[in-house]
Amino acid sequence: MLEIANLSVSYGRVRALDGVEIAIKGAGALHGIIGPNGAGKSTLLDVVTGRRSPSGGAVRYRGKDVTRKSVAWRRRHGMARSFQRTSIFQDLTVREQLTLIARHLGDDRLGDVIEVMNLGDCLDEKAGRIAYGVQRRVDVALALIGRPELLLMDEPGAGLSAEETLNLFLHLRDLVRDRGMAAVVVEHDVDAVFACCDVVTVLDLGRHLATGAPAEIRADARVIAAYLGSAA
Amino acid sequence: MRAHGVIALLIANSLALASLLIMLSSGLALIYGLRDVINFGHGALYMLGAYLGYSIALIGGFWTALVVSPLLLALLGIALEYLVLRPLRGRSHIEVALVTLGLGIILGQALIFVYGGEARGVDAPPALAGSVRMFGLSYPLYRIFLIAMGLGSCTALALWLRFSTSGLYVRAVSQDPSVARMMGVNADRLSLLVTSLSAAFAGVAGVLAGPYLSVDPGMDVTMIVNCLIIVVIGGTGSIAGAIIAALLFGFVQVAGSVFLPDLAALAPYVLLFVVLLIAPRGIGRGRAPA
Amino acid sequence: MSGGTTTRVDARGGSLFAGSASVRALVYVALAALLFGFGAIAPTHLASEFVLRIGAGGLLLGMLALSVAFLMSQAGLVVLGAASVYGGVGYLFAIAMSKWDLSPTAALLFAFCTVIAYAAVLGALIVRTNPLAFMMLTLAAGEMISHSVMLEGLRDYTSGADGLVVTFKGAVFGMTAADFANATQFWPIAWSAAWILGFAAFAVRRSRFGAILRAIQENEERMRFSGFGTYLPRLAAFVFVNAIADVCGLLHVLNSGFVSPESLGLSVSTNALVAALVGGVANSTGPIAGGVLFAFAQDQFGAHGFTQLLTGLAVVVFIVLLPRGVIGGLIEGARRRSVLSSKRRRTA
Repeated sequence: MLEIANLSVSYGRVRALDGVEIAIKGAGALHGIIGPNGAGKSTLLDVVTGRRSPSGGAVRYRGKDVTRKSVAWRRRHGMARSFQRTSIFQDLTVREQLTLIARHLGDDRLGDVIEVMNLGDCLDEKAGRIAYGVQRRVDVALALIGRPELLLMDEPGAGLSAEETLNLFLHLRDLVRDRGMAAVVVEHDVDAVFACCDVVTVLDLGRHLATGAPAEIRADARVIAAYLGSAA
Repeated sequence: MRAHGVIALLIANSLALASLLIMLSSGLALIYGLRDVINFGHGALYMLGAYLGYSIALIGGFWTALVVSPLLLALLGIALEYLVLRPLRGRSHIEVALVTLGLGIILGQALIFVYGGEARGVDAPPALAGSVRMFGLSYPLYRIFLIAMGLGSCTALALWLRFSTSGLYVRAVSQDPSVARMMGVNADRLSLLVTSLSAAFAGVAGVLAGPYLSVDPGMDVTMIVNCLIIVVIGGTGSIAGAIIAALLFGFVQVAGSVFLPDLAALAPYVLLFVVLLIAPRGIGRGRAPA
Repeated sequence: MSGGTTTRVDARGGSLFAGSASVRALVYVALAALLFGFGAIAPTHLASEFVLRIGAGGLLLGMLALSVAFLMSQAGLVVLGAASVYGGVGYLFAIAMSKWDLSPTAALLFAFCTVIAYAAVLGALIVRTNPLAFMMLTLAAGEMISHSVMLEGLRDYTSGADGLVVTFKGAVFGMTAADFANATQFWPIAWSAAWILGFAAFAVRRSRFGAILRAIQENEERMRFSGFGTYLPRLAAFVFVNAIADVCGLLHVLNSGFVSPESLGLSVSTNALVAALVGGVANSTGPIAGGVLFAFAQDQFGAHGFTQLLTGLAVVVFIVLLPRGVIGGLIEGARRRSVLSSKRRRTA
């Protein structure tokens, strides 16, 4: 589904990503990416979705090199993302923004998205007026329109309690399995990732540290060292 | 005239023009860096500086004007900060820019009301009235003074930004306002400093422009358009970019008037659109507005 | 919460019309037709030629303001170079007839299309920049056009500072040059054009394209992450508003029979901006009414020779104190009052 090949990103002299290699294969699997602050998690998501160009390496999506494709192209071809800081249309009602995008992407099953994200009660409210937790669900809903094959989420648990985050992750896991899509989740909350993800990747200081099943990663000495080293 | 003579003349003339442009456009870029606001009234401040300079020079001579006019402009800059920029902090940057545009028009009209519509000539002070010989050519001493002032203010600006604490803060806010705020930088106090400084520089430029160009009712629009072109070419908010762009602008304008006098008026615009075509964000590393 | 309240009140208010939306729509259309007919004919009998002339000038300014207001409200972009299109199309029309011997109608079409092409090229370059840079660039482009008519090399075509007298033989759309210059005959044309352009802007605003534009204005990044290209819609909007200014400039030159560098000047652009601010940018009626209002105000002010002072003052006052404009402010006020009174009705 998604191959990240030898990807590097530099900000001036700082290397935010340094030769990262990750392959995300399975449909129906939730792939967690964790790492201490400054590991390059968000940068990785930005490069994969086309928000930032890499200084080296390639992103291959469904066997095709998409490194130079625009954000909009990637979205139209089934690669969607949600944002750490909710990015929705504050001045539009929830219904207006969902239908605007659904019509553009030719999705006639908007009801599913509304049901899955439990937005039925606030459809005619302006998005800027609803509670923050609901706004976060709108953000994910915008990404789910058009039945994306690959969903990338940047810290969906940001601003939520540990319990809420865990519930959200359980919900996401079911969603990903039901729809048979691949999902990548960048997350700060390590416990939720270990509890719900099928595969976990650890980044540290812009480098790929380890990828594997949650149990393996948990026992990996390098991972423990990285987290202890950053005192997280 | 020998070829290298022409080239020397060309470079000297473009430096003279660029000197004025640097003083004005770096002020614009500084305010933009702090407040995300483009002061469309900057041309009117320059015009006010020129007319004040003209009046003061009639009474106390050119050198008095060169000191007093910038001081008065600095006071106006303080008023601008307290009466316009601070109260309108919560408004969109476009709205604030439009307000400065309106204030600039009002100021320009007020000057026309006081001084009338005719152009006024200002003589260079006696000490700078003559010419010097360079490369076998005679060159007006006043323009050399202008170049020295331009390079001097450029250097002073660079030293201030590089070595003083307030300069460091200005650079920090210009690069990332949110981080700078977290570090406890007081953007309001900096903005007061920068706004009054850039108004004072507009005053200096206005007084200096008197004997070099002329003092006339259209000078505000001409200059603000030139400065906006420079700021866009330089990359909005980049001070180094603005300085380089001003040099480039001066050269293109002067070279245009020498080689293609019929089309010289269009040279800056051609430069602008060529730069935009190649680098839509300008040549410097400006910050995108928040 | 408050949204729910108002919808319920609206539904109850609607029952006065026997619950039929189509009856109400019919009433609105009939009222609009009446207003249109009345406005087109009555002033030509009631008002003096002097007032008609200022009124038509106000409508032209209002249409130009409409172009500024549309881009401001739908794309968050401010145009400071409307005059370059407004005056530029007049120059092209004059030059095409006098230098290239085109028939008046052909010259009209040529001028219109050339300006559209210019807007498309300019837009392609500048709509990718941020809104502040966009504003600076439209100002620069406007100054470029007004400098270019003054060029020595083009003096044969543009007559430099003297301007050009624009006359034509025969008829354009069934009207002679003298007809266009006649205030009584020109008023209904300007009035109809204002309605047509106003409705065009209204229709675009209400369309899906308008919704996409507003969404891009609000959150461009999310639009790209929702699969939308954001460049072409903005370019299309820029060309659309220039088409409005284009029509407006042609009407102006047909009416005045003269083009000069003043018609390209920054003051024309800022007047259009002020008219938009006076009327409010959020709908079509506002800017057009603002144009008429401003034209009459300027006539009063102009007696003292400081029309630009009025422009400057109006920009500051309307942005700082009345950001929705007179018309927008009135609508807002009326809405607030009706919500208040309906709330009172509900509690009673």
